[in-house]
Amino acid sequence: MTTRRGFLTHTCGLGAATATLSSVGLGLSLAGRSAAAAHHAEDYRALVCILLAGGNDCYNMLVPNDQDQFDEYAAIRSDLALDRSTLLALPMVEEGPNRGRTFGLHPGMPETRTMYEDGDLAIVANVGTLVEPVDAAAVASGNVRVPLGLYSHADQIQQWQTALPDSRASQGWGGRVADLYAERGADTGIGISMNISLSGSNVFQSGRRTDAYSIHHRHGAPGIYDYGPARRRAVDAILAVEHSNLLRREYSRRLRSAIDQQAAFTSAIATAPELETPFDDDRFSQSMRQIARVIGAHDSFGVSRQTFFVRVGGWDHHDEVLDNQARMLPWISRGLHSFRGAMQELGLFDQVTTFTTSDFARTLTSNGKGSDHGWGGHHLVLGGAVRGGRMVGDYPLLSANSPLDVGRGVYVPTTAVEPYFAELALWLGVAPSDLDLVLPTVRRFYSPESNAAPLGFLNLPGVA
Amino acid sequence: MKMHLRLALVPAIAAFAAACGGGGSSAPPAPPPVVQPPPTTVAPPPGPSRAELAYASKFASRATFGLPYPQIEEIAEQGAEAWLEQQFEMPVTESKPVADKLKGRRAAGQFNDLDGVDLIFQFWRFAWWHTTMTAEDVVRQRVGFALSEIFVVSNIDMLNDEPWALTNYYDTLLHGAFGNFRDLLRDVALHPSMGIYLSHVNNRKADPASNTFPDENFAREVMQLFTIGLYELNIDGSLRLDANGAPIPTYDNHDIAEFAKVFTGLSYGGKDARFGKRKAWFLAPMQMFEEHHEPGEKQLLGGVTLAAGQTGMEDVEAALDNLFEHPNVGPFIGRQLIQRLVTSNPSSAYVERVARAFNGDDTGVRGDMRAVLRAILLDPEATQPREPSTFGKLREPALRLVALARQFKANSDDGTFYNAGHRLNYYTGQHPLASPSVFNFFLPNHSPPGLIADAGLVGPEFQITTPTTIIGAVNMIDVGVFRENQLFDVPEPFAKANLNLTAYRPLANDVDDLLERLDLVMTQGEMHADTRAAVRAALVGIDDPLTRVRQAIYLIAMSPDYTVES
Repeated sequence: MTTRRGFLTHTCGLGAATATLSSVGLGLSLAGRSAAAAHHAEDYRALVCILLAGGNDCYNMLVPNDQDQFDEYAAIRSDLALDRSTLLALPMVEEGPNRGRTFGLHPGMPETRTMYEDGDLAIVANVGTLVEPVDAAAVASGNVRVPLGLYSHADQIQQWQTALPDSRASQGWGGRVADLYAERGADTGIGISMNISLSGSNVFQSGRRTDAYSIHHRHGAPGIYDYGPARRRAVDAILAVEHSNLLRREYSRRLRSAIDQQAAFTSAIATAPELETPFDDDRFSQSMRQIARVIGAHDSFGVSRQTFFVRVGGWDHHDEVLDNQARMLPWISRGLHSFRGAMQELGLFDQVTTFTTSDFARTLTSNGKGSDHGWGGHHLVLGGAVRGGRMVGDYPLLSANSPLDVGRGVYVPTTAVEPYFAELALWLGVAPSDLDLVLPTVRRFYSPESNAAPLGFLNLPGVA
Repeated sequence: MKMHLRLALVPAIAAFAAACGGGGSSAPPAPPPVVQPPPTTVAPPPGPSRAELAYASKFASRATFGLPYPQIEEIAEQGAEAWLEQQFEMPVTESKPVADKLKGRRAAGQFNDLDGVDLIFQFWRFAWWHTTMTAEDVVRQRVGFALSEIFVVSNIDMLNDEPWALTNYYDTLLHGAFGNFRDLLRDVALHPSMGIYLSHVNNRKADPASNTFPDENFAREVMQLFTIGLYELNIDGSLRLDANGAPIPTYDNHDIAEFAKVFTGLSYGGKDARFGKRKAWFLAPMQMFEEHHEPGEKQLLGGVTLAAGQTGMEDVEAALDNLFEHPNVGPFIGRQLIQRLVTSNPSSAYVERVARAFNGDDTGVRGDMRAVLRAILLDPEATQPREPSTFGKLREPALRLVALARQFKANSDDGTFYNAGHRLNYYTGQHPLASPSVFNFFLPNHSPPGLIADAGLVGPEFQITTPTTIIGAVNMIDVGVFRENQLFDVPEPFAKANLNLTAYRPLANDVDDLLERLDLVMTQGEMHADTRAAVRAALVGIDDPLTRVRQAIYLIAMSPDYTVES
């Protein structure tokens, strides 16, 4: 029989979608529940979303390395161009739209090159928010639809989390995944949300009926201080008071539940194996370490799916972009590398996929000191299920007259965020028939019935 | 004079006492108000009644960041109405001078940036805390903060390398708090920090040759968030519906593009002002550079067209007039200010009364903020809620720390109250002017899953009340109440703040006296009898009087009675 978890996890690939969808009712049986628990470990999957908030200048994270394209890059970027000799050369791209081209990584990311060469990390080039496929001339004509608030932090950072480029929504696609699971009666385990944030409330993990459980990058989930018997008794008594005011009742209910959840979290995380893999002490690495601990203890959380969210701020480099990136990109590269080590150590590397997001890329042209708000950008995906050592998405040919350049070296995305996220959602276990619920605008760019991978950077069993 | 005002207050007090009794709470009913006979002898008048004190405390909790008991007594003696008028006349306490002083001290070598600590950014926070803790124009400070949650700018990822960016912006809101909304709207629209935050500084007219168009960011938000909102409203804040029962959008994309044209040609003022200058200058409004302003007609809302050939500033003023005159502004802004100061779910009648005050139905002056604030704070519903079971709001977590420090008269060695705010941010995810986006920390219509959503109501502040922050806020109070020098987090060499509980020491000898006083100060005399009993039980066996006080404050501060003010 198909269990409830089997339905939700959808590990059998896209071809089995119809069968798993029809199992909703069956999955609710107790027999199904215990069968699911037994298969828990192998069913587990997690997504880790990294938001580089402020707009990473990713044209200096991934630089064209063929001489003619590097020359175009250097001419357009002028004082923002990296020295070609410092680039960390990647092997020639062997397939896809960038076939035959070479690229180099930022000199501060040697670990990222290693992971790419090891086949554990893929690059998604020039992805961004779109309402329909456009080029620069179409944008200039004003006759096409473009995302709300293009070039605006507030809108773009939101749309990269909602995947809804023409509305202002407060719920993200990670939240919609959790809503879907909740509506289908997924096992809630010990009562900790499947969405866990290292950066507090966020749009990505906010759903209509579910919210993220926030933990601290160093301290995890601290409880009420000095929570000895006397204080516990006092708190219990205060939270047992019957109030007639509805807001007081709701606050009381939430504090009671938070105290209980914290206790559950603390017990669960205590089962995490000690990690041998060292992590740096910066906030990003410590966040990734904390995520690794939760993943290590996932059996104790009793859920088969989790998402994690980490926001790394400070990428809005209108000034001093070269110095700032040289300081900050190594955090990302080293943090991801440690995280890979920890996942391998736990034997869960194949079951965890990590991906980056950011408001937008930045202008290739300089404003004299830095770069301004752009549009499509390049992103990294890491994990054992990743078809690594590959680049998907079309890295634009840089040129002063590029048909994709809307001005100042702002390139129109050639891949929309919907197929990027669709691939991640399908891998997580969202059935193709449910993809519209998670990514309501996905059909603009991808047909869930196509049985083809949206972009092809993940191993999706059963997909052509 | 004093006696006259107290007599004037009596009907409101009577109404309040009645509301208390009808609230369904098992708290002891407030004693009936004492109506003073006309003074016939020289006997000194007795102090305010409990009901008067409770009402004064409730009023203070809405209109200020929190007041210590003696000042609550003053309001009770003077009457809220008169006290409010006095507050309206107080000069503005600005935050910028605090940042200037710090910059001066730093320049004089009195301290250096600490390893990994960017003090320049922190000067804004130091200035906010010091001003919030010490200013006497307490109502203006509180309203300024409420405005900062409507006209949002934030130091997240920007505006954080120059303390003037936020001190001067915040001071602009303080100045506008008691003026006319139309002036406030202009000052916000032209403020360089808003220009940076919503990217209309150095916004150029269209250039068809290079495919550039005016940035639409500010044009959209000035409508969606700062004036009229997305849908047409009735004066009571309810949605106007079309013949098919659908809401009516207030503007469309074409309107945004037209308003975007208006907000072109603006750049920084100050020395060497020129269009396109990147070095920001925060101490003057943005100024207009005509050659970069979009020429030609602009179509505004309601069929208004700006003629070609106007100056840029004429366009800006006319466009702001166009928005200001829109019938939505009163209910749209009025409801949000009610939510920020009094209650999350005001009745439509309450919204209408505030909207009419905004519209100037009685005075003929549209946008008079004092009239709006009087209407909000002195409204009969604020005094006597019609639905006590759904009235009130969750205290914002950041403001719980402010209230603690102010109500219990925090002091420091040199009278400064600097706070880097990292710990507050860690515990609660909130710090003034550090919203994650222009949509503020929470949305006015956030309906939190649970009892509130099930009742079809909203609870904006619940949006940042996560399982982590709800405990974090309790721990923040713990640290502030129990741990020496830890009320605020501030690096050396700045002075540390501590609560000053000496006034409570004598009361601590009688637990009932202590809890009665704390009930009046913290929970507006409405603490549930069972909460009081629970706190009382927890104090048994604590011998040290000050520890008893601290324990009581901590437990009350985490209780639903305090956390939700009704």
